[in-house]
This record gives sequence, C-alpha cells and structure tokens, in this order.
Amino acid sequence: MKHRILIAEDSKSLLNRAKEIEKLFKKELEKRNLSETVSVLPTGSLGYEDIGVALVIYPDNVLYAPVNSKEDVQTIVKEHFVDGKVVKKLQKPFKRFSQIEKIMGIQQRIVLENVGKISPEDIKEYIAFDGYKGFENALKTSPEGVIKEIKDSELRGRGGAGFPTGKKWEFTAKAKSDKKYIICNADEGEPGTFKDRTIMEGDPHRVIEGMLIAGYATGANEGIIYIRGEYALSIERLENAISQAYDLGLLGNNILGSNFSFDLQVKKGAGAYVCGEETALLNSIEGKRGEPRKKPPYPPTAGLWGKPTVINNVETLANIPVIMRKGAEWFKQFGVPGSYGTKLFSLNGDLNWKGVVEVPFGTNLSFIINEIGGGLKDNLSLKAVILGGVSGSLLTPNEINTPVDFNSLAKIEAGPGSGSITVLSEKRCIVDVAKNIAKFFRHESCGKCTPCRVGTDQMYKIIDRISKGQGEGSDIQIMEKLGRTMKLTSFCGLGQTAPNAILQSLKKFPDEWNAHIFDKRCPVNVCRLEA
Amino acid sequence: MKKTSILEDLQKAESHSKENYITFKDVLQISENKKTPLSKIYGVGTFYSMLSFKPRGRHIIRICGGLACHLAGGDKLINKLKEVLQVDVGETTKDGLFTLEENSCLGLCSVAPVMMIDDEPYGNLTEEKVEEIIKSIKEGTKK
Amino acid sequence: MEEKTVKVKINGKEYEFPAGITILKACEKVGIHIPTLCYLEGVSEEGSCGVCVVEVKGARTLQRSCITELLEGMEIYTDTPAVKEAREMNLELALAHHPLDCMTCDKNGDCLLQDLAYEFNVKKSVFLDESEIYEKEKQTAWDTNPFIQFDPQKCILCRRCVDACENQAIVEAIGIAMRGIDEKVTTPFNLPLEQTNCQFCGECVQACPTGALIEKPRIGKGRIYDFKATDTVCSYCGVGCNIRLYTDKNNNIVMAKGLPNKLVNDTRTCVKGRFGFEYVNSKDRLTSPLIKENGKFRKASWDEAIQYIARKLTEIKNKYGSDSIGVLGSSRCTNEDNYVVQKFARAVIGTNNVDNCARLCHSSTVTGLKMALGAGAATNSIDDIKDADVMFIIGSNMTETHPVIAQIVKKHQKDDGAKIIVCDPRKTDIAKVADVFIQHNPGTDVALLNAIMKIIIDEDLVDEEFIKEHAVGFEQLKEELKDFDLSEASKITGVDLNLIKQAAEIYGQAKNATIFYTMGITQHTTGTDNVLSIANLALITGNLGREGAGINPLRGQANVQGACDLGALPNVFPGYQSVTDESVREKFEQAWGVKLPKDVGLPVSKFGEAALSGKLKAVYVMGENPLMSEPDINRVREGFEKLEFIVVQDIFLSETAQIADVVLPAAAAYEKDGTFTNTERRVQLLRVAKEKLKGTKFDWEIVSEVASAMGYPMHYKNSAEIMDEAASLTLSYAGIHHYRLEKQGIQWPCKDDSDPGTKILHRNGHFNKPNGRGVIHAVKFKPPAELPDKEYPFVLTTGRILYHYHTGNESRRVKVLDEFVPENYIEISKKDADKLNLKDGEIVKVTTRRGSIKVKTRVSDRPKEGVVFVSFHFHEAAANILTNPALDPIANIPEYKVAACRIEKV
Ligand SMILES: Nc1nc2c(c(=O)[nH]1)N[C@H]1C(S)=C(S)[C@@H](COP(=O)(O)OP(=O)(O)OC[C@H]3O[C@@H](n4cnc5c(=O)[nH]c(N)nc54)[C@H](O)[C@@H]3O)O[C@H]1N2
Ligand SMILES: Nc1nc2c(c(=O)[nH]1)N[C@H]1C(S)=C(S)[C@@H](COP(=O)(O)OP(=O)(O)OC[C@H]3O[C@@H](n4cnc5c(=O)[nH]c(N)nc54)[C@H](O)[C@@H]3O)O[C@H]1N2
Ligand SMILES: Cc1cc2nc3c(=O)[nH]c(=O)nc-3n(C[C@H](O)[C@H](O)[C@H](O)COP(=O)(O)O)c2cc1C
Ligand code: SF4
Ligand code: SF4
Ligand code: SF4
Ligand code: SF4
Ligand code: SF4
Ligand code: FES
Ligand code: FES
Ligand SMILES: [Mo]
Repeated sequence: MKHRILIAEDSKSLLNRAKEIEKLFKKELEKRNLSETVSVLPTGSLGYEDIGVALVIYPDNVLYAPVNSKEDVQTIVKEHFVDGKVVKKLQKPFKRFSQIEKIMGIQQRIVLENVGKISPEDIKEYIAFDGYKGFENALKTSPEGVIKEIKDSELRGRGGAGFPTGKKWEFTAKAKSDKKYIICNADEGEPGTFKDRTIMEGDPHRVIEGMLIAGYATGANEGIIYIRGEYALSIERLENAISQAYDLGLLGNNILGSNFSFDLQVKKGAGAYVCGEETALLNSIEGKRGEPRKKPPYPPTAGLWGKPTVINNVETLANIPVIMRKGAEWFKQFGVPGSYGTKLFSLNGDLNWKGVVEVPFGTNLSFIINEIGGGLKDNLSLKAVILGGVSGSLLTPNEINTPVDFNSLAKIEAGPGSGSITVLSEKRCIVDVAKNIAKFFRHESCGKCTPCRVGTDQMYKIIDRISKGQGEGSDIQIMEKLGRTMKLTSFCGLGQTAPNAILQSLKKFPDEWNAHIFDKRCPVNVCRLEA
Repeated sequence: MKKTSILEDLQKAESHSKENYITFKDVLQISENKKTPLSKIYGVGTFYSMLSFKPRGRHIIRICGGLACHLAGGDKLINKLKEVLQVDVGETTKDGLFTLEENSCLGLCSVAPVMMIDDEPYGNLTEEKVEEIIKSIKEGTKK
Repeated sequence: MEEKTVKVKINGKEYEFPAGITILKACEKVGIHIPTLCYLEGVSEEGSCGVCVVEVKGARTLQRSCITELLEGMEIYTDTPAVKEAREMNLELALAHHPLDCMTCDKNGDCLLQDLAYEFNVKKSVFLDESEIYEKEKQTAWDTNPFIQFDPQKCILCRRCVDACENQAIVEAIGIAMRGIDEKVTTPFNLPLEQTNCQFCGECVQACPTGALIEKPRIGKGRIYDFKATDTVCSYCGVGCNIRLYTDKNNNIVMAKGLPNKLVNDTRTCVKGRFGFEYVNSKDRLTSPLIKENGKFRKASWDEAIQYIARKLTEIKNKYGSDSIGVLGSSRCTNEDNYVVQKFARAVIGTNNVDNCARLCHSSTVTGLKMALGAGAATNSIDDIKDADVMFIIGSNMTETHPVIAQIVKKHQKDDGAKIIVCDPRKTDIAKVADVFIQHNPGTDVALLNAIMKIIIDEDLVDEEFIKEHAVGFEQLKEELKDFDLSEASKITGVDLNLIKQAAEIYGQAKNATIFYTMGITQHTTGTDNVLSIANLALITGNLGREGAGINPLRGQANVQGACDLGALPNVFPGYQSVTDESVREKFEQAWGVKLPKDVGLPVSKFGEAALSGKLKAVYVMGENPLMSEPDINRVREGFEKLEFIVVQDIFLSETAQIADVVLPAAAAYEKDGTFTNTERRVQLLRVAKEKLKGTKFDWEIVSEVASAMGYPMHYKNSAEIMDEAASLTLSYAGIHHYRLEKQGIQWPCKDDSDPGTKILHRNGHFNKPNGRGVIHAVKFKPPAELPDKEYPFVLTTGRILYHYHTGNESRRVKVLDEFVPENYIEISKKDADKLNLKDGEIVKVTTRRGSIKVKTRVSDRPKEGVVFVSFHFHEAAANILTNPALDPIANIPEYKVAACRIEKV
C-alpha cells in the first residue's frame, strides 16, 4: 500500500518553514526513487507547532516532530521507508488527542477529525474520508428533515452566543423570499482565538459541506465565507477548495444532478474586529462601514441585502457534515444536556502547551488547563483565566473547577465565548491585563454609539492612569458605573461585553487595584508607577 | 462577472498599489463606477485598518498587540521595531520600505509574540529575531 | 380596515397602541417624557446616543426607545434607577470632550445637549479633561466656506447632520469617517466643503442638536432668546418653502430655518432660503421716494412723489389715451399687491396693458395648457411626487432652481426606486442621477417628444381607454406621426435613438408618471408647441388626474402663480376671466364702479417695441427689472429711454429704477403680510418678520395712494381685506381668506369657505374643455429662430445658477452668496474649449448679433458640445445683451434659450 507523509502546514507550522521540509522530502524521495510509492502532502495542525514541524506517516500512524533539518528528513526517509523502522528519537505520540481519548473514552474527534489526517488541498482526500456524505444524505432527505435532524442534535452556535442552530435555520427556511444567503462567519478576531483558522487551514471542505447542507435546508442558493483579511492561508485554502468543489459539480447548478444549486465565494475582511458581529459583517459584505445594524430585524429574516440570511460560525458549520452523516443521536452521545457535541478551545498564555484542542462539552476547565495544556509554565501558580476571549470572563483559580458547558459556566457568569483560554500566572498584573483589554476595545469600537465609543476610550484612560500611579479614589466607582452603562446601553455585543472582564477583575482582585490606586505600587512589579 | 462591493473595489485598488494605498484617482473611479458619493467611499476606506488613503511602505509590518502577545513580551518587540525602523506605529520608514502597524490579534496566539509582514507570519519572536528578519527583508528587497 | 393594536404596560399602567410604533412614540402619546438626543424623526434614527433608553422587562439590556418597536405584552419602565444612571452616564460620555462653552456659544438656549445637561444636572462631565479638549486638534479644514462653521469639539457624533445630508438633502457631501474614538464628521478627504458636491442647503446645520454646526452669518449676532421668530414663506422661488425667520433687536434678520410642513418642504430649504435673507437688511435699500431732476435723483416726500405721479399719469392718459400707459405687476409681490396693481391699471388708468414676468417664464405654459387641458397650472402637488413611479424632467435644472423639489424627487428615487428621466442639453446635477439622461440640442424638444410618442404609439403603450373617454385629437396626432422618421429625429436632436427608446418605454410603461418642465421648454419661439407636445405625451398615456400622474410646470418666482391668478396679465381679470368676455367685464365694472377697457393689452415682452414706436408713453413698474431681464436689453433700454414717464416701485435702485423719473421705496417680502401662491397652487400666508424700513410702504399701499390721488379712492385697511375682495370676484380663490391659511395654506381651486382646496387638477380625467375632454394637438417641429452658422457657431443658452437670483438685486446683496459666486462665467464643454484653445477661468468675449459681453470660462462636463451657457444674474456681464428677442407667436415669450454666438479670446 502507498505511503502518505502528511506535513502540518497550518500558519504556525509554516512559520517554522514546513514548506521547506516538504520540499526536502520530495527531493529526498526522488533521490531514492520512492516518489511513486510515497506521496508528500500538506495537512492541518498536528499540535506540535510550538516545537517545530510535525508530520504523520500513514498508514503507519507514526507522528514525527520536530522535523527541523535536512538531516532529520534524510534520516526519516532512509530509516522509515528504506529500512522500514520507526525513527524513535523523532517520534512523538499523538499527544493531546490520544490522552483525551484515553481519559474521556472518546473514540474520535468530531470537528477536527480530518485535521492532520488529510491534505486540505485535495478534495479527493476529503471525499475519501467520507467527505460530502453528509450532504448526500441531506439531499436524500427533505429540507424540513434536515432541519429536524439539526434541531434534534441540539447543536448550538459556536460563535459565542450559543444560539440553537436548527432554530436559526428554521427561521430562514420559513421566511419567504426570492433570495436567501448562507454566511460563514470566519472573521475570528477575538484576542486569544485561533480555532476557526485550524479548521479552515486543515479541513476546508468541511466548511463548504456544512454550508451546502445549510443552503439546502433553508432554501438558500448563495453562500459567502467572510474571512478576516489577515488570514491569508485560510483564504487560499478555501478558495482552492471552492474551485475544486465547482470542478466536481459539488457547487454550482443542479448539484449532483439534484434540483439544488448553490454558489459560494470568499469575501475578505479588511481589519475590523467588529465585523465579526453578524450585522456588522453584513454591512461589510455589502461594502459598507462595518457598523452593526439595529436588531430586530434579525438576519435570519432580514440579512444580507435585506434577504433572509443564516450566519454561522466556522466551527458550527464544521459540525454539520458529521451530524448529517451519523445522525443526531450519535452526535448527542458527546457532551452534556444543554451542550451536546464537542468544543474547540484555543489555549494560550502561561501554559506549557498551547494550541487548539477539541474536547467534549462538560470537560472540566482545570483538566483542560492542567492535563491538556500541561499546567503552567515554569511551575508557576495560576492567578486567573480569561475564558472566551477578552470579551468573555475572568475566572479565579477557585472557579476553574467547572465543567465547560453553557449551563455550568453560566452559573459563574461565564460562557465558552470564542473558545479561547488565556492562562495568567501569578506573575501577571491584573491592572496590566485589564489595560491591554481596554486598549483592544478602544481600538476596535466601531464608534457608532456613545457608550462604547467614548466608554471604551475612557475606560482605557482611567486604567492607563491607574497603571501609572495616577489613580484616584473615585476611579473604581466610576469604572463600575461606566461599565454598567456600557453593558446595558451599548448598541451591540462589542460594547456590551467590553467591560466584562474588567468589571470582574475589579470585583475579584480588589487588592491589586487598590495597591495601584492607593499605594501607588504594582504588587508583581509589572506596571511602572511614578511615585 | 460578479458584482464587487465598494470595499472590494478598495481592496483591489490597494493591492494594485506598490505603496499599499488607495489613490484619490482610484476613489474617483470607484465613485463614478458605483454611482456612490465620495463621502461614503471615504467613510468605508477609513473604517478598516488594513486600508489606507496615504502611501505606505512596500511592506506592511503588523505587530500583534493582543493579550497573548502582550503577555509574551510584545511590548518589547514593538519598541525594538520602532528602534530598528526609526518610526512610530502608523508611520513609514524613510526609505519607504516598511510601514509599522499594530494589530489587535493575528490569531497566532499559541506562538506569541507574533507579527506579520505582508502575508507572511512570524512567531515565537525575540528582539534578535525581529532585527534579523528586518535585515534579511531589507537585503532581499535591495537585490 | 381594522388597525392592529398591541397591549403593553408602561410604568405599571396598561395601554393599547397601534402596532408598529416605537416605545418613544407610545410614551409621547401618553405624555411620558423620554429624553432624546440623536433621534430626528424620519431623518436620523440610528440609536447612537443611548440617552432614550428604558427598561423592558425580561430584556438583558436597556432598550433604545427611539428605535424599538412595541411588542405585545411588553412591560416598560421609563424611570428606574438603572435607566436614570444609564442616561446620565451616556450624557456624561457625550460631554467627555465637550468644552464648557455655553457662556459664549451661539447655540446657548437652543441646544439639546445643554437642555439635557440641565435636566440631568450634569455640571461637568466626570470624564472631562479640559487639557484634552483644547489639545484636540481643531479640525477646520473643511469649513472654509462662507456659510457653515464646524466645531469638532462641540460635535457629539450623533450623526444627525450626516443623515440629514443623506436623507433630506440627498447629497451625501459629508459623512462619518474613521473608527471608534477617532471617528469624526467630515467631508471626503477633509476637502473644503465647497470642493464637494455640497449644495449649502444647511439641512445639516438645522439637524445639529449642538453648536457643532452653525450658520456662519449668525455668529455673534445673539442667542435664540435675543431673537424674534416669525413663520413665513421664502421670498425666492416658487417652491414656497415654509421658513422661520429670526430677527434681532436691531430689526435685522439673522437666521432662517425650514419649517416642518410635511406637505411642502418638510424642514428643507435651499441655500437661498437659509442664507439669502440678508438683502432685506441691506444698506442699499431704498428708504425715500426719489424724483429725478436734471438727470439726477433727489429725495422727495411721499406726498410730493404721489401727487407728482398722479399728475403726470393723468396728463399722459388724457393726452395719449389710457393704452399709452403700461403697468407691471410683480411675481415678487403678494397676491394682494398684484390684485391692487391690476385693478389700478384697469380701473384707474383704464388699460389692460398690465403684465408680469410670468410672460418671460410660463406664458407658453398658460397658453399651451389652456389649449390642451383648460387650465395653465401645475396639475399635482409636491406631496404626491411620492406616488409617481416615473419622474420625467425636461428643460428644468431643478437642483439649482427648485432645489427643494429636486431633493424630494431624489429622495423618492433613492427610497422608493422611482425612475428619473432627464432631457436637457446640459448635464445638470439631476441629470447625473437620472436613470435615463437625454442630452439633446437646444430647441429640438418637439422633435424629441414626437419621437417618444411615436415609439409609445408603435409599441402600443398608449392608454386607449383614457384617450377614448377623456381626449380628442388622437387620430390627427397618429396621422402626423405616421410617417415620422425616427432616425431623422435622432439627427435633429443629436441623441442616440436607443436612449429615446429607453425613455419612451420607461415613461410609457409607468403606472403613474409625472412630468416636470420649466424654462428649457417654455422659453422658445416654439414654447407653446413644446407645451402642447408635453400635454400630448401625458394625454395619450393617461398620465393625468391622479396622484403621481400629471404635468407640473414648476413656477419660477415665489409668487408668479399668484400674480397671474390675481390678474396681472393683459388678457384676463383675476381667476383667468377673460377681459373680452362681456359678462365678466360687467361683473368687474359693477364691483369696481367704473367702465373697463375691452381690448387685450400689451404683454411686457412688447413694451420695449411699443415704447420705440411711440405707442407707449409711460410705464409703472412694480417689482420688475425689465432692463436686465428682457431679451436684447440694449434695445429695450433704447425704448424705455424714449418714454415720457417711468415710475419704478422697488426695494432697490434697480437697473430699471435708475432710468425712472420717480422711484418709490417698497417694503420687502419679509416685511410684509399677505399671501404667495406657490407652484402647486398653494396659497400661503406671509407674516411680518421684521418691521418695514422707515420710509418704505407696502406695495398695495403705495398703489392705492396713487390711485386715490388720481381720483379713484382705494382705502384698504390691510392685506386681508384685499384678499377678501379678490376672493369675492375670483371663483378659484372664493374660499381663500387669511384666517383660513394659518396652518398650511390652501390649494386653489377653492370654491367656498368650507372647501379644503384642490390637491389634483383634472381629477378622473375631467378637463375644463368642451365635453370635459383634453385636446391632443398634432405639432410639427420648427427650428429655433436663430441657428448657429459660420459667424456665430455656438448655441448660447441662458438661465440660472443655484446661488443667485434673476437680475441679482437681492442675491448679490447677500454677502455670503455674492462672496461665494462673485462673477459671471460661461459654461463650455471641454471639447469646445480645447477647440478654441481656451483654459478654465480665462476671460473671453461672447458676441451675438445683438451685442457682446466679457466673461470667464468655466470648462465643464455639463454642456453638450456646441452649446454654451451664461446666467443672467450679473449686471457686469449681462446675458440679456446677447439674447434674441424673437417671440413665440401665441404666448409672446422670448427665446432666451437659443441664440447663435461667437466666442473669442481677449
Ligand atoms: N437659483 C435660482 N433659482 C430660481 C431662479 C433664479 O433666478 N435662481 N429663478 C426662478 C424662476 S423665475 C424660474 S422661471 C425658474 C427657472 O428654472 P429652470 O427652468 O430650471 O432654469 P433655467 O436655468 O432657466 O433653465 C433650465 C434648463 O433648461 C435647459 N435648456 C436650455 N435649452 C433647452 C432646450 O431647448 N430644451 C430643453 N429641454 N432644455 C433646455 C438648460 O440647460 C437648463 O438646465 O427658476 C426659479 N428658481
Ligand atoms: N437671459 C434670460 N433672461 C431671462 C430669463 C432667462 O432664463 N434667461 N428668465 C426670465 C424669467 S423666467 C423671469 S421670471 C424674469 C425675471 O425678471 P424680473 O422679474 O425682472 O427679475 P427680478 O430680478 O426678479 O426683478 C424683480 C425686481 O423686483 C424687486 N423686488 C423684490 N422684492 C420686491 C418687493 O417686495 N416689492 C417691490 N416693489 N419690488 C421688489 C427687485 O429688487 C427686482 O428689481 O427674467 C427673465 N429673463
Ligand atoms: C464584537 C463581536 C464579534 C464577534 N466575532 C465573531 C467572530 O469572529 N466569529 C463568529 O463566528 N462570531 C462572532 N460573533 C458572534 C456573531 O455575531 C454571531 O453570533 C455568530 O456568528 C453566529 O454564529 P453561530 O450561531 O454559529 O454561533 C461576534 C459577536 C460580536 C458582538
Ligand atoms: S457597541 Fe461599540 S462596536 Fe457596537 S455599535 Fe456601539 S460603538 Fe459600535
Ligand atoms: S453646543 Fe450646547 S452645550 Fe455645547 S457649548 Fe454650545 S450651548 Fe453649550
Ligand atoms: S449644506 Fe446641505 S448639502 Fe451641504 S453638507 Fe449640509 S446638508 Fe449636505
Ligand atoms: S455636527 Fe452636530 S449633528 Fe453632526 S454629528 Fe456632530 S453634533 Fe451631531
Ligand atoms: S427652494 Fe425655493 S422656496 Fe425653497 S428655500 Fe429655496 S428658493 Fe426658497
Ligand atoms: S494575541 Fe497576538 S496573535 Fe493573538
Ligand atoms: S435618542 Fe434614542 S438612542 Fe439617541
Ligand atoms: Mo421665471
């Protein structure tokens, strides 16, 4: 049987020169006349980008990392293919995933099932791994049937708000209109978040298939994937995938001989975090300033160009094919009631291992941090966790013993949000972190409404002052009042969530704030205060 | 041919420019083609941070100012870049090679601190690495 | 139909409201106060400020009452602590960069921000960092114009200005730029406003709730509470915008605002309405009667002047007969003034030689529409423009001449997708947004309209039903067009046949199409033919007598409609009652107690010739300036100089006044009460915005005194009494009395005191013609009187620009307007300029068979090749030195729109 070398070529691996390694392999194999029997292909993240280039060899299921030099390449080709033995010194376990599997008893990944397994640049590989089967099943079902299946799966949106996907689709399906749209929200811009990129770079067809099914179910025949402009590789992989899908008749008119037609294109963002907000995104696609629109009407009934529009997150859509392939009941064996399926998390901050993981809903947050993330770097102790991105919540060490699912997290005023987990060690200053968060929102506020436009600016200015030792006794009170007003009266989610983590930090770390304000001192010596 | 939006027209105009910006002439053309008043186009162009109406450097450096990068020492890198390039954030080097910009998060947080130069990401940066990268690009462009 | 309602609870009390209204509206209805800042109904509904928030039970956040619709079962609380805190906080935020300048701010007392600060007792925003305000770069780059000042420090980014520009003015000259805290209101690229498409209508200023945008001319003149406010009607064009004028303690008008009369201008004005009042305050105003002695004027008392005029006119009348005297009424003056002046001509002088500038303007409309439909006025209302799906605009530069109507037309296109067709030899601003723009050769409208009708007939787009029931003459028209050669028409007009086809199809297929036309149609030797062709087009497609379907000649001067209605015309008494009709004459003889002349009098366009030939010996001019406005003014002047006696009653020493024997100082429009009738036949009330200048009298008062001195006593107590008399003799005004006009005026015909007036003429296709049928006339194309040739190779067409008005007596005395456009220019196409090797701004000599003037060039994309345009506002380079006095044989309107000319470098 033919061997396949799959080299992780996600953005992060590419910056470790994965492309060069790919070339070296090709050269080396040619030299040894092995080109015919061994193919070299790119794949998505294998979870070792922090140490270097990683690759897997199928069907042997051997993972090597880091493969950083010509010598490494030569060794692998010679020993693995010529001599037929595993290069022990380079071999690594399928680290994260195998561990989860062991501990949680899960047989396979759902969303990332193909990432690191197939070449994202070749539609045939996707198809070989049951790609587009879910869509074929959908075509055999009625649109109502598809919606029922999704509703039965109780899939909730992975873009932050957790809205039931089947219900959303149903609104659009029921809306009468000559034109409907499916939009994939791939604007991923929340600091600390990079899970959608992992899907798009590693398994782009999965997103396309999800959108096809959504289109069929709702009666939409145009789709748009809105990808932030900075995600060059995601754009490239999806554009490539789309053109391959057109070539195979999986996009376009009368797909697979059915009555269903669907066109799909990629639109690039141009640097504005707020465009991740679904109505701002619509304006951006229409070519306008990315300012949010008034809701209601909501996009499912009046979206792009005023037409009914489903907007789903990349991860949400990536869940669809497998649900249509294996059924809602199968899907619901993962996760917990109220939060079925798995969730991707982007681990970052002061952890030993950082990257994207997929865990079933209900996994304990401390498990993710300590087991999967390998605990804190340098054996430091944990000070806080920012969960769900900077618009999410700030958790203290005694709050992390919580299962990550919508209901459990709600109890501690948190949510999975964007799926980011930023870990802060004891060496981090809360005021400094708050200032960085405030700066972010100040920079990304669209400016339309006063509470957010001026509120984010003032929030930053106050914290900046405090961090410099110019805080005043009344600052905390003003920040609380300001934060409340922003939460209650900002026009969109950006302004409404901007003060979240900051307000929580005021409540959870009062001593640290007070030290800055009253003692003019930073307890961990991060801020430079003028005495 | 698919109809483009104003934003796409602006993106296209910018991508055709060696100096990474949209000229007044481009804007007039878009206004004419799309029967859209200049004020609207100007409003769109100034909204998005990747677009510019002012000439920029041949290469755009986007240094990440997001939380993960900040925690990983991003501030030091920003200062290093300012020093090496002799510019402030938002400015273009005298030789017209680089414009330094700050990004809110490049989505590469697990290899923080990071920056992108044009479409190319660079991660796990140190001050030394930054200096090296700038140097090599400078040399590469000169050739 | 039963209206849907929703039941809600507000502050614990149950209410029922019509479905679909906002929380704010509902609360307003039941008297619950909710403060607002950014909301401007129908104009700006962005929900940006967050001041109007309320608590809705069950909602995660507070709701913006201004944009949130009521839903069944909502429980709303408008006054909880959370609501109060949020409102106050948002106000603090709005004030975070706002200087505490109320003490010196012109907006003090008229500022929503200030009102709210007072309401919430926000003395100084907790966020205010004064060092920052004054550091923040004061961005004045784009407000270098003379009209509008922008102070970014006072701007709270509520966006009302931007939305007003977009949704009311339909210009989008200013917009929101940048993002987040850097966001600002600005022009594209911070260009000076005058380099954008801004029309200086000031709609943005009026929308601004703070002192950020302010009219420059008012700065330093006082605060709102120093002014007296008066609601009246704009004195310029026939749109008849309702405005509020503010007069300071020195009796100077200092500011104007558009009033929210939804039926007319709905808060809009154009630059003249908003900034053009200053002439009333001008030092040049006449304040004493003047009598010419030895070629020089000297001041005289009213008594002396009146006695002198009475003596001279009586002398001339006795010596040469009544018809040796001509009288001009004025479309700048009120209905009451005009009623009195025509009565003076007929009853006191004994002549029908009375006319007004409508002659030069819409006399062909009156003749043409009278022949076709039986009434010479606009058939529809401004308010039903919104019901048209096609707007056909021909020979009207409405963006500059009827700017507020143009805004309404553009809004209808933008909001409702109605189509615009424009036919004009120049690519005017409205042409730029047209769905179809036909740029034809001047003077070829009959050929163009015939071509359009030929296509409509050929493609079976005629309304057979309508023609059968409501029209006659269709067969003749069909016959005429049977062999009509479309390609020949394309050659004559210089327009691609496809474009004409497009226009024909769009108009022909419209459910409701309305036509707007003005001087491009009327001011031709074929003016009547042009108007008949337009009537034909509407009749064969059945586009008359309904909302959104009709023929709308836009009337020019503020009261040109009224001057005609009240009989300042040589052939009719008030209400278009013919002077040759015995019974009519008897009625007026009885009412006025004198014998009245039987013969139709001279039109003003023949005054010059009649003076030259000696037929005319004296003229009495009220509020006209023929020595600037008539064609071929050198010849008119020659004629007038031969007259034995000229009286000019004006507010300035106009070109005509300068050669008068007696000049009488009148009160200006903003100093008067009385009525104007606008383009849609709406009679509207003027109110005294400022006391009339010492030494001046009302026009009707002056004429009455002359009449009395001539032995015919006229003693009116006030203008209302005059209108009552006029109404008693004029069927179409029978129900018009001042007390009935207080609210929003009445459209004639209005037959009695209970008649609400007439929105649409010829309702249900009923015309004031025999059998109630409209008459279709087969019209043949005739070329203009003067065509270009080798010696005079260009077609000169004349007209107006936005910033000036007619002979310039007013607009050129408004500092801001005159500063903005201080001199005349000739518009010439790039191609022609290149041919003549002319640069933009170069001075050239323009010559016709009548004379020449020197003007600067303005090389532009507007005129068609071979066509040049000059405005007639500037006495220094008077266009009417050049124009051709050839007249339309029926209407006697001069051909201002076509003359052959030559252009030379100097
Ligand atoms: N700013 C301003 N507004 C005014 C006035 C003013 O003086 N200044 N005056 C008021 C008065 S009294 C009047 S009557 C109206 C006049 O209002 P308009 O009639 O709109 O003004 P004009 O500039 O005389 O000419 C109108 C258009 O006719 C076009 N035209 C020239 N020749 C032809 C032709 O042969 N056929 C066709 N179809 N079009 C042709 C010209 O290019 C011009 O665009 O404006 C009123 N409003
Ligand atoms: N070349 C060329 N010539 C044209 C035209 C054209 O398109 N091209 N258009 C023609 C048309 S449509 C028109 S309507 C005429 C306009 O021609 P005119 O009516 O002659 O021009 P105006 O400048 O309006 O003159 C009005 C006079 O009345 C005075 N006045 C203003 N208010 C009052 C008042 O309340 N009382 C009194 N007593 N006097 C007052 C003014 O000072 C001014 O002197 O011009 C015509 N001439
Ligand atoms: C400021 C802001 C930024 C957002 N950014 C994203 C984003 O990058 N990606 C995303 O899928 N959803 C984002 N959302 C959420 C979207 O508005 C929307 O809820 C989501 O795309 C719906 O998809 P789902 O139903 O699949 O979750 C953002 C929301 C806000 C308020
Ligand atoms: S909350 Fe912020 S991002 Fe959202 S509309 Fe308001 S200013 Fe824009
Ligand atoms: S704009 Fe209003 S609040 Fe501001 S200084 Fe002027 S009057 Fe005072
Ligand atoms: S003056 Fe009128 S056209 Fe100019 S910016 Fe203001 S609203 Fe717009
Ligand atoms: S200029 Fe006035 S109307 Fe415009 S945004 Fe600023 S405060 Fe509002
Ligand atoms: S449109 Fe006419 S009536 Fe209205 S403000 Fe302008 S000049 Fe006056
Ligand atoms: S924080 Fe820098 S890449 Fe995300
Ligand atoms: S008035 Fe409602 S948000 Fe400003
Ligand atoms: Mo006129």
